[in-house]
Amino acid sequence: MREERKIFFVVIFCGLLFLPALGESTEKFPTKPIELVVPFAAGGSTDVLARLVAKFAPKYFDKPLVVINKPGGGGVTGTEGVVRSTPDGHTLYLGYGSGHDLVMPHFQKLPFDTFKDLIPVSRLSVHSVVLIIRADAPYKTMKEFVDWGKKKEQVTASVSTKAGSVDITFQAIGKTTGLKMVTVPFRGGAEAVTAIVGGQTDSGGNHPSEVISHIKAKRLIPIAVALEQRDSAIPDVPTFKELGYNVVTVGSVKGVAAPKGTPPEVIQYLSERFKKVCDDPEFVKAMKDIGQPVMYLGPTDFGKYLQAGFEEYGKLIKEFNIKLE
Amino acid sequence: MFQGLANGFGIAFSLTNLTFALVGTLLGTIVGILPGLGPAATISLLLPLSFKIGSPVTSIIMMAGIFYGAMYGGSTTSILVNIPGEAASVVTCIDGYQMALKGRAGPALGIAAIGSFIAGTIGIIGLTFVAPPLAEFALKFGPPEYFALTLLGLLMATLLGGSSIVKGLIMVVLGLLLGSVGLDPISGAIRFTWGFFMLQEGVDFVTLAMGMFGIGEILINLEKELTTELVTRKITHLWPTLKDWAESKWAILRGSFIGFFIGILPGGGAVISSLVSYAVEKKFSKHPEEFGKGAIRGVAGPESANNSAASASFIPLLTLGIPGNASIAMIFAALLIQGVQPGPFLITEHPDVFWGVVASMYVGNVMLLILNLPMVGMWVQLLRVPYAILAPIIVLFCCIGVYSIRNTVFDIWVMGIFGVIGYFFRKVGMEPGPLILAFVLGPILERSLRQALLISAGSPFIFFSRPISGALMGFLILYILVQIVITLRKPRVGEN
Repeated sequence: MREERKIFFVVIFCGLLFLPALGESTEKFPTKPIELVVPFAAGGSTDVLARLVAKFAPKYFDKPLVVINKPGGGGVTGTEGVVRSTPDGHTLYLGYGSGHDLVMPHFQKLPFDTFKDLIPVSRLSVHSVVLIIRADAPYKTMKEFVDWGKKKEQVTASVSTKAGSVDITFQAIGKTTGLKMVTVPFRGGAEAVTAIVGGQTDSGGNHPSEVISHIKAKRLIPIAVALEQRDSAIPDVPTFKELGYNVVTVGSVKGVAAPKGTPPEVIQYLSERFKKVCDDPEFVKAMKDIGQPVMYLGPTDFGKYLQAGFEEYGKLIKEFNIKLE
Repeated sequence: MFQGLANGFGIAFSLTNLTFALVGTLLGTIVGILPGLGPAATISLLLPLSFKIGSPVTSIIMMAGIFYGAMYGGSTTSILVNIPGEAASVVTCIDGYQMALKGRAGPALGIAAIGSFIAGTIGIIGLTFVAPPLAEFALKFGPPEYFALTLLGLLMATLLGGSSIVKGLIMVVLGLLLGSVGLDPISGAIRFTWGFFMLQEGVDFVTLAMGMFGIGEILINLEKELTTELVTRKITHLWPTLKDWAESKWAILRGSFIGFFIGILPGGGAVISSLVSYAVEKKFSKHPEEFGKGAIRGVAGPESANNSAASASFIPLLTLGIPGNASIAMIFAALLIQGVQPGPFLITEHPDVFWGVVASMYVGNVMLLILNLPMVGMWVQLLRVPYAILAPIIVLFCCIGVYSIRNTVFDIWVMGIFGVIGYFFRKVGMEPGPLILAFVLGPILERSLRQALLISAGSPFIFFSRPISGALMGFLILYILVQIVITLRKPRVGEN
């Protein structure tokens, strides 16, 4: 009898241990701060975007958003961490649509599937690729640049990294214009900007947020944007298409994703709140100041957009026969 | 300009800003001392807090304090336990640790603090008066110039390895090989990663240094009797003597200027400046044989150089909007998020930010001197802590520090592996210093060489046709020729 009573109490006690867990499951999402994992180093353009979002989030989210940087493997490591995390919406990936999502899989096998293992939540911004030149260069327009370059043995362009969105776009520019475009990879966007500001290369490829201060200072001139439509961060700059060169990519997309298995109602909660942040006029202004356009898309449209962008890069890589030796 | 600086002091001396400058420098000193924990990780942790502070000036004053405060603290572990806190303190280990072994840890720490103060202040004076033209000069540094400068740095690194040039060269080559792990910077091909995605961006400097120096040193010390440890660490002097000061003052001044001019260059500036400073001191010394055995000038010069380099690295950020290293990039991001665009317009659009931060750096340097000098005595006492207690604490901090860089356990394993390798190097009498420095410089060397050749369409003439790289290459070739002539002319006395 005594034994049975002991077992009885143990069972009851164990049951009691589970009570808080039961309570938690009926509680509404979010139950704790939401981690925004940025798979790049702090201080970069994706990180700045994430921190701006986190700054405006308390107005709209029920729990704070916390930015966590997990750089490594060109973004693969941090993203993989999110893919392997508990799919309850408390761990999100910010940067969905970056080079390692859309470009890298065409060259190497990643430890996860960009589309099958992640659920799109919201698109926040698109970092377009813009062709920039120095203000004191002997060419001022796209046409002058191409004419000048045709007389040269080669035309150099500083890019942030090999086989990233900027590099692929610039190889496409070379093939479309008939210039012998040599991309010179640097260690990230900031170093690439330093090189073009210092006149080390003939042209530069960057995202607008990386060069906006130099454009304002009239050191650099933006020539053309490789997007379907103009970039609202630099609305005066024409697209390549407008100028008669068919170079269109999705640039580097910056969206939010959740790991596969996250409940649909959580995805809905998140995308609604991210939309509210994106509609906040103060957020829009802060983003404009740093040269990042706010380009919100909901889960379904964002998913389609990414798929199309992925295939577009695949086509370019195949068409221009771009390889990593 | 003086008006601006005066206003800046007005801002810096407000109670809030003084408090945050103190908090920043104090935090910086602490993370500088803790092995592995660096200013970049600390600033990134504090970024969200900085928005709560509200005013951009105040938050940048604090972050800047963390950054240059860490440069002060970085020398402490180099001297006491032979673990460099950051790349620019690797050189300090050579003579600093030797001084500590001879019971002169106090003077070494003291001269490092005084040198840091003088150099830091010289750096800020430069930042105040000649920032814009110098920033333009730094822009002239393209791939060919970086190649020539790094080659110079590498030459200096081979000279560091005390007794044997052959051993020094072996370590340099190993360092270059380790530096090539990860993505090929130009073609994007994957090298030596054995399938680990974590290795695609290469081995992290802190991970390697903590392993080779920190863990390696502890492993080798485990072989020694604990009692001998305490005897060899007896303390003869707590403060630098007048003789120490007389020996160091010119080294400090030379280091300050070397650090300032090389530190302006984005990327690698502080490391190369500390190397160049050490080499210059060794060359100028009447007793070069003392170097590597506890020469105080070998501590004073490089420690000064890396501090004025830290001040100078604010120049490209504040005048051009170009962040030169990880910590400065974080400050760059903090400014952006607070709606302040660093760049050529900063000084006119946000004079309060520019002058407030510059003025706070003068104040911060004085605070650091006051904070650090009394602490010398405390740190020296730390050497009395039994090694059986000290060693596990060091290992713990190394693990935390390495983990904090990328928030991954993988790096702790990598550190452990390098610790074992470092242990065997010590067993065969190979000093890890040249390896670490070659590891830092190798990737810059490779990248700049290949970038330069891409730009010149394959012609090596580019290294000689541009004025700055041409001059550097000319100096290099001349230096090597002179060395060869000296060696050949030297009468071979008593070959053994």
